Amino acid sequence: MATMIEENGPSTHEQSDVSSSSQARQKLEGLLNKNMRIRMTDGRTLVGLFLCTDRDCNVILGSAQEFLKSTDTFSQGEPRVLGLAMIPGHHVVSIEVEADSLEDAQGFGAHH
Amino acid sequence: MRPEALQYVIVTMVMKSAVEDDDAGWGLGIPEKMKNNANWVDITHEFKGACKELNLGELLHDKLFGLFEAMSAIEMMDPKMDAGMIGNQVNRKVLNFEQAIKEGAIKVKDLSLPELIGIIDTCFCCLITWLEGHSLAQTVFTCLYVHNPDLIEEPALKAFALGILKVCDIAREKVNKAAVFEEEDFQAMTYGFKMANNVTDLRVTGMLKDVEDELQRKVKSTRSRQGEQRNPEVELEHQQCLALFNRIKFTRLLLTALITFTKKETSSVGEAQKLVAQAADLLSAIHSSIQHGIQSQNDTTKGDHPIMMGFEPLVNQRLLPPTFPRYAKIIKREDMVAYFGKLIERIKTVCDVINTTNLHGILDFFCEFSEQSPCVLSRSLLQTTFLIDNKKVFGTHLMQDMIKDALRYFVSPPVLSYKCCLFNNHQAKDYIDSFVTRCSRPFCSLIQIHGHNRARQRDKLGHILEEFATLQDEAEKVDAALHSLLMKLEPQRQHLACLGTWILYHNLRIMIQYLLSGFELELYSMHEYYYIYWYLSEFLYAWLMSTLSRADSSQMAEERILEEQLKGRSSKKTKKKKKVRPLSKEITMSQAYQNMCAGMYKTMVALDMDGKVRKPQFELDSEQVRYEHRFAPFNSVVTPPPVHYIQFKEMSDLKKYNPPPGSADLYLAASKHFQQAKLILENVPSPDPEVNRILKVAKPNIVVMKLLAGGHKKETKVLPEFDFSAHKYFPVVKII
Repeated sequence: MATMIEENGPSTHEQSDVSSSSQARQKLEGLLNKNMRIRMTDGRTLVGLFLCTDRDCNVILGSAQEFLKSTDTFSQGEPRVLGLAMIPGHHVVSIEVEADSLEDAQGFGAHH
Repeated sequence: MRPEALQYVIVTMVMKSAVEDDDAGWGLGIPEKMKNNANWVDITHEFKGACKELNLGELLHDKLFGLFEAMSAIEMMDPKMDAGMIGNQVNRKVLNFEQAIKEGAIKVKDLSLPELIGIIDTCFCCLITWLEGHSLAQTVFTCLYVHNPDLIEEPALKAFALGILKVCDIAREKVNKAAVFEEEDFQAMTYGFKMANNVTDLRVTGMLKDVEDELQRKVKSTRSRQGEQRNPEVELEHQQCLALFNRIKFTRLLLTALITFTKKETSSVGEAQKLVAQAADLLSAIHSSIQHGIQSQNDTTKGDHPIMMGFEPLVNQRLLPPTFPRYAKIIKREDMVAYFGKLIERIKTVCDVINTTNLHGILDFFCEFSEQSPCVLSRSLLQTTFLIDNKKVFGTHLMQDMIKDALRYFVSPPVLSYKCCLFNNHQAKDYIDSFVTRCSRPFCSLIQIHGHNRARQRDKLGHILEEFATLQDEAEKVDAALHSLLMKLEPQRQHLACLGTWILYHNLRIMIQYLLSGFELELYSMHEYYYIYWYLSEFLYAWLMSTLSRADSSQMAEERILEEQLKGRSSKKTKKKKKVRPLSKEITMSQAYQNMCAGMYKTMVALDMDGKVRKPQFELDSEQVRYEHRFAPFNSVVTPPPVHYIQFKEMSDLKKYNPPPGSADLYLAASKHFQQAKLILENVPSPDPEVNRILKVAKPNIVVMKLLAGGHKKETKVLPEFDFSAHKYFPVVKII
C-alpha cells in the first residue's frame, strides 16, 4: 500500500514539476555568463558575470565590481574590483541584466 | 508568479513596451548611471521564482564553473570576508584630506603642541603596525597628513610627515630587496600613494633638523632659571616643547640610520649603529611624555575605530584588495616605545654581523639571529648588509673567496693549500674555481632562507636539499679529479672526499635543522616523537659526527705535511704544543645533542610500552604514511641515503636484543643518555646560553627517568607532559 502511494502519488505531481523546473533551469542557464547587476540589502551594487545560483537564490558573480550606494559622497562612482563574489540570497534586493543579453538568451523567453 | 508570466514580462521588456506589471519590481531597477549606458532590465522576481524550482543542494552553473571555483568566492555581507561592508556601517562621513581641509575638520596650521605630539605618536603606532605585517592603507595612510604633505603649513608637522614617508619608503625598499618576506610578514603595496619621492632624503633630514633647532631654542627659552618663580604654564610649555623636540629628533635619527644602511661602504654599518643608539637614548623621554599628546575622542566601545584629528581609519577602505579584510589593530602608544626599543636592539645586533668574517660564522650568526623570531625589517637589513647588491659579502669580499676560506677552515683541502703543487696547477685551479662558483648560489640561498620567518624556513630548507644533493655529486667528482691529478704530482698526498665532506656537513646540518624545527613549530604529535628522535640520534647526528671527525683528521693530515715541510727548511725544533682543534666545540655539541635525542627516543619507546603514549586510531593513514611524510624531503638526498620505514622498523626492533629490554631498562638507558649529555656539557669551556638551556632539560630528565625505571607511578593512566619551555627541541618530561 505504502509503495503504491509512493509510486503513484508523487509521480503525477512530479510530472508537472519536472517540466516547470526544467524550464526554470533553462531560463537560468540562458543567463549564465551574462552581465548581471545585483543590489544588496546594505545599498551596495555589484556588477559581474552570472556564474552560479541555487535554490536559495545565492548568486555567484565573476569579475565582480562593487559600487557604493549613490548617496555616498566619497569616491562615488569609482568601482572596487572584487573578483569572484557570492551574494547570499537573503541579501539580494534586486537583480538586473542587460537588455541585449536577454535577446541572446533564447531559452529565456522563446519557449513560451 | 509562474515562470511563463516571467518570460512574458521579459519578452515585452526587451521590446521596450510599457508594462503595467507592479510585482516584478520595476521601480527599483532602471539605473542611474552606474556603469555604462547599458539598458538594465530588472528580473528580480522572475529570477527568484526560477531559483525556487531548483532542487535543494542543486547548483545551477556553467560547465566550466564548478564547486571548486565556487569555494574561492568571497561571501558578501560576511564581516569576516567582506571588507566593503564595514564602511557602510559607520554613521559618519568619511572624508579624504582635501575634503577634510575644506570642511575644516582638520588643521594644517597653528596646531597646538599637544595636537602635534598626539598626531606624531599615533603615526609612530601606525608605522609599527605596518612593520608588523599590515597594509600601509590601513596603517600609516590612515593619517591624512601624509597623503599630501605639500598641503601642510605647520613646519614641524610637514617635516615629520615627509620624514615618516621616507622611513616607510626606505624600509619598503630594503624589505623588497632582501626578499625574505611572505604575505604574513609584510605588505609592500603602496596603493599609488606618493612616498615623498619629489623631495630628496637630504632635504627631508635638513627640514627635520631645522624644526629641531627651532624647538631647541624654545626649550631653552622656557627653561627654568635659578631663583625664578616658576610659572606652571611656562613649565608645561617647556615640557611639551621638549616632548616634540625628542620626537622630531627621533624621527630624524631613525631616517638617517636607514639612509646610512643604503650606502655601499662597510663603514656605514658602524655609523648606522651609532645613529640608532642615539635614537634609543631618546626613547625613555618619549615614553614619559606620551600623556602630553591628545587622545582619540570618540567612543570605541561601539565597535568604531578610534578617531583622532588627522586620522581616518576608513579613508582607504575602498583601496583594499578583495581578500579577507584584515583588521589592522593599531598598537597602543605605551607599547610603541617598547617596540622601538626592541627594534633598535635588533638593528644594533644586525650591525654586528660585519665583525664575523668566516662563512660558517656568518651562517651561525644568521641562525642565532633568526631564533629570536625578529621582525621583517631587521631580517631584511641583515640580508642587505650581508650581500650588498647581491654581489659581494659586506660589499668587499667575493662569495667565492668566502667559500674557499670556509673550505680551508673546515677540511684544509690540499688544492687550496699554498704549499701544495695543486695550488698553482692550472687544471686544478679550473676545477676548484668552477666548483666554488657553482657553490655560491646555493649558499647564498641558504643564508637567505635563514632570513625568512621560522615557519617558512622549514619548508624552504626541505626544498634546498635538492640543490645540495646535486652539489654533493659534483663535489665528489671534483674530489676524484683532483685526487688523480695529485697522485701524479705528489704521490704521498691524497685529495679524498675533501669537498664532499664539506658539502655533506652542510647537508646534514640542513636535515637536522629541518627535523628539529618541527618541534619548535609544534608539528609533531606525541606518538611521532620516537621516530623523529631516532632518526636524529641514530642516523643524522651519527653521520654528522663522523663527518666532523673526517674533516678534523683531514685538517690534521694537512698540518702534519706543513710541519714536515717547515722542519725540512729550518732545523729549529717545532714545539709540540697541543692546539685546540677548530672543530672540537662543534663535535662536543653534536655529541651532547645526540645523547639528548637518544635519551628522548628511549624515553618515548618506554612510555609507549607502559601505555603512556596516546596513539591515534589510524583509519585513513598509518604510521608508515606519517613517517614517510615527515622524512619526504630527504628522498632527494643521496648521501646520507634516506632510511625508509621498513628499514627503520628493522633497525629499531627491540627483539634483536636477547633478552629484549623492558620499559625499566629503557628508562635507565635514557637516564644514562641524559647523564652523558650533562657530563659533556658541563665540561664545555665558557658555556654559551644554548649549553645552559640543554642542561636545564637534561638534569630534570635524569631524575625523572630514574624514578620511572624504579616503577614510580607505573600504574597511573595519566599521560606524561612534555614541557618545551626550557628548550625548543627537547622537552622536560613530566609525570603527573
